[in-house]
Amino acid sequence: MKYLPTSLPITLFSLLLACAGTAGAADAPWCKAGKPVKLAGLNWESGALLTELIKTVLEQGYGCQTEIVPGTTVTLETALASNDIQVIAEEWVGRSEAWNKAAAEGKVKVAGKVIVGATEGWYVPDYVIKGDSKRGIAAAAPRLNSVADLPAYTALFKDEEEPARGRFLNCPTGWTCEGVNSQKLKAYGLQNSYVNFRPGTGAALDAEISSAYQRGKPILFYYWAPTALMGKYRFIKLQEPAYNEACFKTLANKDHPKPCGSAAPEALIQTALSKPLADADPALVAFFSRFNVPINVLNRALAHMADNKLDAAAEAKLFFAQQPKIWHNWLPADVAARIKQAQ
Amino acid sequence: MAFFLPISIKEPVNHALEQLVLRFGNALHLVNEAILQGALLPLEKLLRGAPPALILLLIALLAWHATRRLTHAAWLTGALYLIGCFGLWDMLMQTLALVLVSTVLAVLIGLPAGVLLARLPRLRRWALPVLDVMQTLPTFVYLIPAVMLFGLGKVPAILATVVYAVCPLIRLTELGIRQVDHDVAEAAWSFGTTRWQLLIGVQLPLALPSIMAGLNQTVMMALAMVVIASMIGARGLGEDVLAGIQTLDVGRGLQAGLAIVLLAIVIDRITQGWGRPRRPQRGNHEPH
Repeated sequence: MKYLPTSLPITLFSLLLACAGTAGAADAPWCKAGKPVKLAGLNWESGALLTELIKTVLEQGYGCQTEIVPGTTVTLETALASNDIQVIAEEWVGRSEAWNKAAAEGKVKVAGKVIVGATEGWYVPDYVIKGDSKRGIAAAAPRLNSVADLPAYTALFKDEEEPARGRFLNCPTGWTCEGVNSQKLKAYGLQNSYVNFRPGTGAALDAEISSAYQRGKPILFYYWAPTALMGKYRFIKLQEPAYNEACFKTLANKDHPKPCGSAAPEALIQTALSKPLADADPALVAFFSRFNVPINVLNRALAHMADNKLDAAAEAKLFFAQQPKIWHNWLPADVAARIKQAQ
Repeated sequence: MAFFLPISIKEPVNHALEQLVLRFGNALHLVNEAILQGALLPLEKLLRGAPPALILLLIALLAWHATRRLTHAAWLTGALYLIGCFGLWDMLMQTLALVLVSTVLAVLIGLPAGVLLARLPRLRRWALPVLDVMQTLPTFVYLIPAVMLFGLGKVPAILATVVYAVCPLIRLTELGIRQVDHDVAEAAWSFGTTRWQLLIGVQLPLALPSIMAGLNQTVMMALAMVVIASMIGARGLGEDVLAGIQTLDVGRGLQAGLAIVLLAIVIDRITQGWGRPRRPQRGNHEPH
């Protein structure tokens, strides 16, 4: 889901401003040398927030100069490999060609596990299975448990355009998950009973899910965490066959004629660093290897951000005010003290 | 004190939309279903189910009837045949159904609105800026709320298309009727026509070229919306264009894009043909 193309042009400014002797940069050699740290301007919710958190730590804790460079995932990965940028806050390791190539050539390094427990899969709202007494919604499918149960529920998830079949809300075309889900429909024998509905854009997918949830209607869709909707609403993930490497390969190849079912592999999400930065600055590497936000905290922050229509920078400020335990854990005491002072 | 006053309509709009979804979402989803079951799906089923040869024959007849030229009819039919050769026939029919339903709705709204505006100059002063807004507001701004209210897929796509495409029809209907010669109207009055007879028998027929030009614009704009509609899950040729772009499969995108162009040309020639005053069956061909 991180590979949606956007038209954001990548603009690289070469900052030549030297700022030798910035107070507090003593323990970060890269910044002490006056070099700015360029962060990838990730354009999805969690990526944007994590980037702002890193920016705050680097600026206030280590006295670094930072710059956020917008771009699509692939361009940013390529830029990291050539050290045009130095940090990608949230890298789904091994999911893209550009990354795999750069990693094989040793041009990029990873540190820490910024998100643990990221999930993706097929979801239904929890009231579909458990009901919601507060809103007066009866459980429409109390026995729905796994994807294997779905053929019995086509009427529940009815596709209005083809009422005889159910509707599975897939990713928009062009996202990596769209191909995998289409293969899964085949693997689970659902391609005749369910319409493979591609919503066209991420915004349309979110709008449809939000609308159905607010109205308490049944809906079957692909989704992932960490996301704002995941923090805001309660969804239940349908069980899938356990992850199996060989089967997942048949799912990842969208032309494979006979795919077999498998859950997605557990996502490895790390902070990615350019090799020059990783080699030059052990202090920053130490921070990045401890940098982590627990997923439920992250989901809640993202939901808060979406509900109040805050931008990532504003939400990051709140995070530093409200979650001192979490961010103190990332940092040596003196650096943490400097951030606290700056708040 | 900042120079710009902090004015924002974000909060009230967001709140209003949420309330709309909660209160009317279910009812509007029923409207969605009614439009689907009542108009779009039967038409789509008919078009997709009919043998392509039959539809090509119908197009050929329509094209001949509109242009009165066998060569025109032949190459317009050939253009649609080519889309079939690309393997896009089924998508073409879905798109055609979408465009036809949008156009019919636009005519049902646009024609009376145009007549009304021609009658009431005061209303016109208010309505024209509204039409400008409808035409210039970025489509996505109301597409996503439409998804929340009507659900994903073809109906919000049709509604957005109508909002966008009805404007030229209203304008040109209004213009056409206003430009009907006063002397002609006067003459009709003196024969004792009623207002209704005047409208049906004199004004509308004389305004027909202008109205057809408006209809032509409406259909073209509806076709332009096809790609945008695919962004909210409307299937058809637009989906193929979108998929082509998003997966960097330029050839696929271009092929579907060309199919949209061909369809546009076919519809354009047919509607333009009907808008032109009938040529004498024999004699000089007027230039066009």
